[in-house]
Amino acid sequence: MGLALVALGILLGWRAPGFFAPANLRDLLVSNAPVLVAAIGMTLVILARQIDISIGSQFAICGVVSGLLAKSGLPMPLVGAGAVLAGALLGGLNGLLVAALGLPAIVVTLATMVFLRESLRLATEGVWVQNLPPNFQWFGLGQEPGRLAVIVVALAVFATFAWSLSHLAAGRAVYATGSEPEAARLVGIRPRRVVFATFAFMGGLVGLSALLTSIQFIDVQASAGVGLELKVIAAVVVGGTSISGGRGTLLGTLLGVALLGAIGPALTFLGAEAHWERALQGLVILAAVATDAVRGKGAGNDGF
Amino acid sequence: MASETPAARLRSRLSHEVLLAGLVAVEIAYFAAVGSNFLSLGNAAEIARASVEIGLLALALTAVILTGGIDLSVGSLLGLSAVMMGAAWRDLGWPIAAAVLVAPLVGAAGGALNALLVARLRIPPLIVTLGTYSLFRGVAEGYTGGVRNYSGFPAALLSVGQGRLFGIPAQVPLLLAASVFFWLLLHRTGIGRGIRAIGFSPEGARHAGIPVARRLGLVYVMSGLLSGLAAIVYAARLGQAKSDAGTGYELFAITAVVLGGTSIFGGRGTVHGTLLGLVAIAMLQNGLRLADRPAELAGMLTGVLLVVAIGTNRFFSERSRA
Repeated sequence: MGLALVALGILLGWRAPGFFAPANLRDLLVSNAPVLVAAIGMTLVILARQIDISIGSQFAICGVVSGLLAKSGLPMPLVGAGAVLAGALLGGLNGLLVAALGLPAIVVTLATMVFLRESLRLATEGVWVQNLPPNFQWFGLGQEPGRLAVIVVALAVFATFAWSLSHLAAGRAVYATGSEPEAARLVGIRPRRVVFATFAFMGGLVGLSALLTSIQFIDVQASAGVGLELKVIAAVVVGGTSISGGRGTLLGTLLGVALLGAIGPALTFLGAEAHWERALQGLVILAAVATDAVRGKGAGNDGF
Repeated sequence: MASETPAARLRSRLSHEVLLAGLVAVEIAYFAAVGSNFLSLGNAAEIARASVEIGLLALALTAVILTGGIDLSVGSLLGLSAVMMGAAWRDLGWPIAAAVLVAPLVGAAGGALNALLVARLRIPPLIVTLGTYSLFRGVAEGYTGGVRNYSGFPAALLSVGQGRLFGIPAQVPLLLAASVFFWLLLHRTGIGRGIRAIGFSPEGARHAGIPVARRLGLVYVMSGLLSGLAAIVYAARLGQAKSDAGTGYELFAITAVVLGGTSIFGGRGTVHGTLLGLVAIAMLQNGLRLADRPAELAGMLTGVLLVVAIGTNRFFSERSRA
């Protein structure tokens, strides 16, 4: 995976050095920062042997919530807190259905994906949030510092979660729950609470991701985030996290986001047609998991 | 049976399919009362016509999910098959009768790729089909440049999607035939029992002498093949084939299967349950539209129904464990 990234880098350096112009790299970082933030949450969920395919709908709701809060005149820190809280509540709903009722996560989040998306459509009638106050776009910092702020926030969140996951008891509990819930219970971890918490964190991070996206534009689209779940799950899986839980790192997820995010712009720089971006992303996903499977360390061999 | 609780007594009298049939009956009664024209043969034909593509995918997915697997790539493969069919007809100048065969061939080939990765390399199906979900749609987008639209198909093809046969929509017999085939396969043959056994325990199935890799391969190839057939029906019904054909269909189909009582963990589920789930969803969408209610309500109610369905599904699975 790291090798693939290096190979792509060498190819670009040779054929299209313009790719590494600071302005292009910065744009790439800014546009992928929200994906990274959501992928951090997805890594937690998948490490705990769960999945969340409702995040695209959560993303749309949190974006609209942040826009409406900003229009109501709240100061930006409260707007940000509101978006994260809205996400955490939606994620908590998934967590409750999965952890408390013991229902399978893939079906629960399929249901909430449809339910939340259609509820938002009914509430907004597809109308975008417009006429946002000037202190909303780029946090009111102006474009250059605003871009920097987006990158700094995403990397700070990344560093915090990466450190916590490997150094805090709570972080180890996520790994323990994902590799063997029964064993985790016997050593005093409460797997249901861990599962609930990963869904709530997932939602909160999606809220942040939506905020980091919506401040980049002049309107908030009510139809945002369609397909986000598959993009994010793909990045996590390409980053080497086992879909059957318990194994994976956030550093891998960072590399996965970078690789999948770089493919589209790289195609343009290499003079290829951008329409092939999605096909290439699919190939990268399959190549990543197939090489793992052939080398025998597998993404988990026991179904999903 | 002295210790029988009221819940256990309820469980012994009801099954998931009975509850679902009850739900469909309630929908019919409600929409007949509030909507105009709901209870007519014309409208029944309309509902049936609109459900064929999702129905074909849902039948194939019933077999896939019974093995404990999943196939997220069916909607994308429908799109790719439809585009390739259009390309064979218009770009290569093939007669429509030959071009139509391209769709199931492309579908079966795509299914074979899933089968290879799931059954031979033993990669989790969720990941494999997430990858091919992007790959199939991406190839369709790349080939058409994201914009080329194949349309103007000859009347012979359009009659499959828009015409009538013996008074019923012409594509409905295809769904009926596929339903009978899958019902016999899954409920009346050793292959079907093997597929179920794999869903309960792949390791146990292997020890019982079931060729696990071949059975897994079969369900994914069938899933691809039916995506290709659904592509023909799609192009014939809408009169066009574009790279975005069938977007999101995988979720509708999975919803019908799970609502129909098939366990997402595999092993338990029926073809008639899936058909009831399909009817429940299709009727909800159609009925709400005729009753002038917002279309979004259909999606919201489907989400609620799904959660309720898996809740009751657990309730019944406790019976089978007892």
